[in-house]
Amino acid sequence: MARTATAPGAPKTLLGKAALEVDDRLIVAGPLRRTLNKVFPDHWSFLLGEIALYSFIILLLTGTYLTFFFQASMTEVAYDGSYAPLRGIDMSIAYASTLDISFDVRGGLLIRQMHHWAALLFMASIVCHMLRIFFTGAFRRPRETNWLIGVALLILGIFEGFAGYSMPDDLLSGTGLRIMSAIILSIPVIGTWAHWAVFGGDYVGELIVGRLYIAHVLIIPAIILGLIAVHLLILVKQKHTQFPGPGRTEHNVVGNRLFPTFAGKATGLLLVVFGVCAALGGLVQINPLWLWGPYNPAQVSSASQPDWYVMFLDGSTRLFPAWDIYLPGNYNIPALFWPTVVLPGIIFTLLLAYPMLERKLTGDTASHHLLQRPRDVPVRTSLGTMAISFYIVLLLSGANDVIADKFDISLNAMTWIGRIGLLIIPPIVYVLTYRICLGLQQHDREVLEHGIETGVIRRLPHGEFIEVHQPLGPVDEHGHGQLAYGGAPVPKKMNQVGGARRAIRGFFSPIEEPAAVELEQRGEDRGLAPAEPQRELTTSGRPAEGGRPSEGGRPSEGGRPQEPRD
Amino acid sequence: MSTTNPQSDTQPDEGPRRSRWSRRPAEGSPAAAARARRRSKQRRRLANVAALMTGLVLTGALYSTLAPGAQAADEGSESSAEAAGRELYERSCISCHGENLEGVPNRGPSLIGVGEAAVYFQVHTGRMPLVRQEAQAPDKPAIFSDEEIDQLMAYVQANGGGPVLPSGDLRDGDLAAGGELFRLNCAQCHNFVGEGGALSSGKYAPSLEDANDLEIYAAMLSGPENMPIFGDNQLTPEEKRSIINYIQTITDMPDPGGAGIGRIGPVSEGLVIWVVGIAALLFGIFWMGSKA
Amino acid sequence: MTTHDTRPGSTGGADTPGPLHGGPDDDYTPEQLATLPREELDRLGARYDGVEVLHVEPGPEPGSALEKRAVRQVGLMFGLAGLSAFAFVVVYAGAGWFLPDWQWELGSNTFSVLYTPLLGLLMALAFTFFGVGLVLYTKKLLPHETAVQDKHDGSHFDRVTTGATLVGGLHNSGLKRRKLITRSLAFMGGGLGLMLVAPLGGLIKDPNEGDPLGTTEWAEGVRLVRDDGTPIRPGDQEPGSLETVFPAVPEGNRLSDAATMLIRLRPSQLEQATPRSGQEDFGYGDYVAYSKICTHAGCPVSLYEQETSRILCPCHQSQFDVTQGAKPVFGPATRSLPQLPLAVDDEGFFVARSDYIEAVGPTYWNRERI
Repeated sequence: MARTATAPGAPKTLLGKAALEVDDRLIVAGPLRRTLNKVFPDHWSFLLGEIALYSFIILLLTGTYLTFFFQASMTEVAYDGSYAPLRGIDMSIAYASTLDISFDVRGGLLIRQMHHWAALLFMASIVCHMLRIFFTGAFRRPRETNWLIGVALLILGIFEGFAGYSMPDDLLSGTGLRIMSAIILSIPVIGTWAHWAVFGGDYVGELIVGRLYIAHVLIIPAIILGLIAVHLLILVKQKHTQFPGPGRTEHNVVGNRLFPTFAGKATGLLLVVFGVCAALGGLVQINPLWLWGPYNPAQVSSASQPDWYVMFLDGSTRLFPAWDIYLPGNYNIPALFWPTVVLPGIIFTLLLAYPMLERKLTGDTASHHLLQRPRDVPVRTSLGTMAISFYIVLLLSGANDVIADKFDISLNAMTWIGRIGLLIIPPIVYVLTYRICLGLQQHDREVLEHGIETGVIRRLPHGEFIEVHQPLGPVDEHGHGQLAYGGAPVPKKMNQVGGARRAIRGFFSPIEEPAAVELEQRGEDRGLAPAEPQRELTTSGRPAEGGRPSEGGRPSEGGRPQEPRD
Repeated sequence: MSTTNPQSDTQPDEGPRRSRWSRRPAEGSPAAAARARRRSKQRRRLANVAALMTGLVLTGALYSTLAPGAQAADEGSESSAEAAGRELYERSCISCHGENLEGVPNRGPSLIGVGEAAVYFQVHTGRMPLVRQEAQAPDKPAIFSDEEIDQLMAYVQANGGGPVLPSGDLRDGDLAAGGELFRLNCAQCHNFVGEGGALSSGKYAPSLEDANDLEIYAAMLSGPENMPIFGDNQLTPEEKRSIINYIQTITDMPDPGGAGIGRIGPVSEGLVIWVVGIAALLFGIFWMGSKA
Repeated sequence: MTTHDTRPGSTGGADTPGPLHGGPDDDYTPEQLATLPREELDRLGARYDGVEVLHVEPGPEPGSALEKRAVRQVGLMFGLAGLSAFAFVVVYAGAGWFLPDWQWELGSNTFSVLYTPLLGLLMALAFTFFGVGLVLYTKKLLPHETAVQDKHDGSHFDRVTTGATLVGGLHNSGLKRRKLITRSLAFMGGGLGLMLVAPLGGLIKDPNEGDPLGTTEWAEGVRLVRDDGTPIRPGDQEPGSLETVFPAVPEGNRLSDAATMLIRLRPSQLEQATPRSGQEDFGYGDYVAYSKICTHAGCPVSLYEQETSRILCPCHQSQFDVTQGAKPVFGPATRSLPQLPLAVDDEGFFVARSDYIEAVGPTYWNRERI
């Protein structure tokens, strides 16, 4: 020890010495440094998956708290808690203990509602994250595995959510469970056997809540947790994708190091996600199951729906025509089977297989680390929006009775709107998206070739009026731009290429004096101060940073536009 | 047999409307515009009324012997309330329900035997008189005053009998038992907490939020429009009072968990998570991604 | 793997570095490292991790107005977060102590209604202020650096060497030649796999034992009773009414497949009534009884529209017409609601004449065969 303390470079502070002690035992300095130095690209859309991760953390924390009080038993008891309108009613212990969490556990209602809101947020942010991945092509080789894991997480999330929703054994979730029972029964050949295996006999039995409980708190979360770990490990190993931009290539990542910038922002986001869940959990009532009442197979309420992430299946079930298929031998395939088993089967299979299908169809088997702009891949983008419109029709149909009631539309008309809409809206959306993508592409090319519209009208000697265009780069002898499109946003307004003074800083309100900025800019113009060297390597994905050095130089080279031309 | 119920709603602007109504029923109602279009029709109708008056008086005695017998207590001698009710009936109801309450095909059902409960429900919730023929009569501010409703009730009750309104405290019943009965008999259409819901082809079960005790009771007794009838042998008066107690307790009850967002469950919750939750977080990550 | 004998824990001298050791610890002696400033060390480490810091925009000038302002903002955020968190604790613990009681009861005080929203709001404020403060800190007070990290595809060297190790191990095991071992391994693997999943067989039960799906508790002479157990006389219901009835068996009102709708038709409905063939006599007078369990997905139907004679299912909007033997007229349901044959017993109460003649509830694969 004495020698160590005097060795060159040896720590002198207490903290430093403690760190040395730790590293001597665990040898973590190397891996830790590699982690801290890891570079993350900075774009808002890369944080969507983090929202899902953080809501999962909330789910684990609040869920663990709830298990201290919830009893997954279907034994009937007479309620004797604080909520007077149910006192003396027979109900399962599961339902009674959920009422106790809501009314007799201090702060229990807040935690229960946070848990439920976090579940909705988990699923919603997974969907957002997945859309980002899809539309930017981030699922392409080498990231197919993570796409598969992501889809698996989505499916597991649906099952996890359904199990959690059904556990309290209230009248709303019980109705959902009854439908689930019918869905299992509808499976050809093995339906009744599967039902007997899942429910331990005929509906409803005594076992299902306990089984849902163990699936909800152990089996599915364990799988989800494991898959999230693999998902993140693969992400770390493969490194993050990035949008094309100055200095960004297939072989690097431009951004912030994990420590401290990225860690600061990520922790900030974690806290904001916690904050949003707490705000919703406290201020907006969710699943007030004391109003629903205990489950009773003879009772039901109008507007019985599942949570939003299952609602599209309820919608498909409502829209599907009454088609039982009778087979020889008096066997039949119930109508319920198609919209609830076959349709999600097809949807999720297509979702899982999409990266492989695209690879096959386009023949693009190369590794990609640079993302694509949706407009540059019109077929994929159009397929995506088509799928979204299909999904939204199903989702809205899952709520069609509420929509019919609130907007005074006939319920039967809503069903027909859904049936017809499901068939005609997606193709229309496909065509529209395709046209929009092509239009945006053309406009990009046009600006690269002819320059930005300056809004300056010039009258030529012979009387013709023309608009002056600002080329983005060097021009050939015909005055056409020589820049090639590089997959990055093309500036389309003069102030995006420094034609106006730079934007005043500040997100909510300006944090600098406009006059001072103007002065500074004038100074730059006169060459008094250099205009932000290496500005092209900024990390934001905002369109203000267009062009790629490799494609012929940055348009705002030198801070000023080049000579305007006609 | 009175509508002076402690819970009955009073319209704040009832006074002026009542005085106008006693002169001319078509004015001042929210549906005045619709009525204006049909004013000529009404003039014709009034002429018909005048002509039919004679016939009515002539057939009056004969009619009371033909009508179902139970109500014939004060037969022959029409009380002043009934007379006033008849007058109101002939002015506002006769075109659809017929001169002798027998109904007009494709316009309005017979009112013989519906009883005062039906009259109270339909008129007090403003469903009757009808503005136009629709899938279902919507509720609107009542057109008649409580006194006029009493007179109409007396007239209809005297000519055909039927379920009568209860008296006393209509919330005098067991709360929890009422909830169980509500979920078994009412929630399928009116939703868990009486928010209402859609029925087939544009019809709907209305929200019970603004319904007073007597209206709910009268609705159960009379089964207005598509609602099934819950007679006293099916749901005893005590059970009806329990149900009313439950409905009114639940609709008045504050939400302990924050904003109720319509109390309709997953649909509004899904809307909130996207419109509020995801939107707030998207704003947050935009802000985080922007430069200082 | 220390390469220097000066580290604590080393016995000193005995641990001579082998020829294969190398890397940064050989390139840079502690003495060299000690001369480097902290920033250099940071960059040096980053370079070893393939990271190049291209550009650092320093944070605000120490002591500048911009910095003071940002520090104030961040401090305010953290302060408010702390305040909200403490307020949360005060409200949480103080309720029922020096604040009004938190427990929500019917007609209880306003505080108990606001308790959960208040807790949620304070917790949200604490988290959000903390988070916002942290982001502000990162954005306004930390230097903004732009770093580039190299991204490597898989290394050919790694592949070849790892492959050699794996193949070498396989080769040494001799599994390719020693067929007995591979075959017995496969045999054992199959057996063990089956053994491990076999206990799941406990889940399997025979659904065809006693035909539970095709039968209910209804039987000849079983009375129709209300939820509270009282029997029903034909005079009890008004025309145009519906009542949910259960078989008069123990716990009959908790059975999942026995709930039945007893409907008394209005005279006009009775005129139009066209019962299903073979079931013309299932009603009793103007009464008919249909299963309440939807033939589509098993929800309790019973949104009865007595004027249009329709019964609507609230789950998927199937509509059944009671005057046509509860035939589905709209929506996804394919089968009529089963009808319960009615009679009246000696005491004048409704009884069932038999069980439903078909399976109630959702359709399944072999429904027609039972």
